[in-house]
Amino acid sequence: MIAAAVVSGAMLSACGKDNRKPGKHYMPDMVESRAYEFYSERLSTLKPVDGTVKRGELLPYHLKAADTALANAVKNPLILSKADLEEGKRLFNIYCAICHGSKLDGNGPLYNGGAGPYVAAPANLASGAKASYTEGRLFHVMTFGYNAMGSYASQLDREQRWKVAAYIRSVQNGGANAGPVANEATQTAPAAPAATAPAATDSSAKH
Amino acid sequence: MYRRVSILMRKHFVSVLVLCVAMIASLSVRAADPGKGKTLFQQNCASCHNVHKQVTGPALKGVEERWSDKKLLHQWIHNSSSVVASGDAYAVKLFNDFNKQVMPGFPSFTDADIDDILAYIADESTKVVGGPGGKPGDKPVAEADGGNNSLLFGIITLILAIVALILMQINSNLNKLAGDKDGVPTPDPVPFYKNKAYIALVILLLFIVGGYYTINGAIGLGRQKDYMPEQPIFYSHKVHAGVNQINCLYCHAGAEKSKHAMIPSENICMNCHKTISEYGGADLYTAEGKKVNGTAEIQKLYDHVGWDKKAQAYTKPGKPIQWTKIHNLPDHVYFNHSQHVVAGKQQCQTCHGAITEMDEVHQFAELSMGWCVNCHRTTKVQFADNKYYSIFEQFHQQVKEGKIDSVTVEMVGGTECQKCHY
Repeated sequence: MIAAAVVSGAMLSACGKDNRKPGKHYMPDMVESRAYEFYSERLSTLKPVDGTVKRGELLPYHLKAADTALANAVKNPLILSKADLEEGKRLFNIYCAICHGSKLDGNGPLYNGGAGPYVAAPANLASGAKASYTEGRLFHVMTFGYNAMGSYASQLDREQRWKVAAYIRSVQNGGANAGPVANEATQTAPAAPAATAPAATDSSAKH
Repeated sequence: MYRRVSILMRKHFVSVLVLCVAMIASLSVRAADPGKGKTLFQQNCASCHNVHKQVTGPALKGVEERWSDKKLLHQWIHNSSSVVASGDAYAVKLFNDFNKQVMPGFPSFTDADIDDILAYIADESTKVVGGPGGKPGDKPVAEADGGNNSLLFGIITLILAIVALILMQINSNLNKLAGDKDGVPTPDPVPFYKNKAYIALVILLLFIVGGYYTINGAIGLGRQKDYMPEQPIFYSHKVHAGVNQINCLYCHAGAEKSKHAMIPSENICMNCHKTISEYGGADLYTAEGKKVNGTAEIQKLYDHVGWDKKAQAYTKPGKPIQWTKIHNLPDHVYFNHSQHVVAGKQQCQTCHGAITEMDEVHQFAELSMGWCVNCHRTTKVQFADNKYYSIFEQFHQQVKEGKIDSVTVEMVGGTECQKCHY
């Protein structure tokens, strides 16, 4: 009988958990509390109210996808330091290098000289036609996508896109396209349109 | 002497003649070189064209048959607008079918270059594409079944217990016989179910076993370690983050910026899947061992976003994919991804396990309060060169003076109640 008890216990535990089911809760009204509904997925993923700008965020970009000629002339609103370019490099390696390659040669792991799963050759950013794109145009392409490339506006905010654009320019054609880099400040500060964009201040405030 | 010279001259004349003929032949009917064509194709055409699939421009398989005149095709590649302007019916149709997007001209190509490229396309067209490149013998190893083992041990225990009982019975019978022989009266044996020692033992055992399972079950309430729900699309993290080396942050961009790591929106899927419409990697299996058709799973994504892969356009309204959230914390617990990833500099794998090895993701960590607190007690924060911790001047001073060698999360308040509870 003792043995029977032990065996039945062992068998009960063996046919215990189904990993496809989430299991049970103790006091579900505490786990899914009404008081914290504000943090529910529905509310926390709402879009910001139209016409509002988040604190610390750059002002909105108004050009449309077809305005490529105007985009060529748009200047980078940030004064970038070396640290910002490093950040641009880090972001490039996460979001862009998977296709364009960490050497910017258009041969990232997804294309891999035609052997990868991606069937279209990503653009070579290091030299050639794309190396003559201005920072503004690069920002425009990241914002709206181009040909097979999609928009990266949902992954990179405006400031991050400008940093990536500046990084790309800084290493193209062996560094011949590099823009000016601020030496003194390590923080990103708005350049000329400072008076109209008082909200864009310390980038680290977000963290 | 004269004869020798003449023989030599005759010999040379023949070889020179052969050489000349060969050169003339190579100049007039120069064979197109697909190898050179491949290089040219990848440098100039592959951004918008694929041989087998429509990308930004049409698939190029059979392109030479589609054009009535080879000269016109050459002119199209040199300057496509001029062909459209000339009013050629096929060129105009092509221009209109592809949203009136002008194909950039390649005036620098020589006719030989174009022939090389066309030779490469013809070569590539004969190759079969899209065949599942799954390697044989890639099936998941049948899991060592823990249930079978414990059953075996249980049966052995049962047999041994029965043998022990029988032996005890024989022993008492023999004792009784021996006592009868000696004339010593033996008391009537008490049946085992009335034996107080036996009853006490069984109660104790039941108490221990029952208590063990009750407590374990109670602790397990609300905990979901190893939870692995079936998702609406068989999305393999192993294929994306492992084989194809996509960074976690590429899709979960929120992990650096916000409380939530974010389940990526479908436009992020479509960044790559606009062109990747077939799965050609190793065979995929669900946890139950059922084979998964990767291409059909990509089609599910297209159905959700309303993408027509033939037309290369969004033709239907999209509907959201209802992914099932795996890592759930109770509402009274505050957890912030950006805090852990940016300030704490933690790797995703610390809490989520070997994601790059998981076809289907399961919850790797306990996500219990004890698990959180233990980690906060033992983890050393990266204190130097970290702006986030610059305000802890006393600790910085002590580290400098050598009084302490490191600072744990607990020392900067990581185990205070209100840090994680509202």
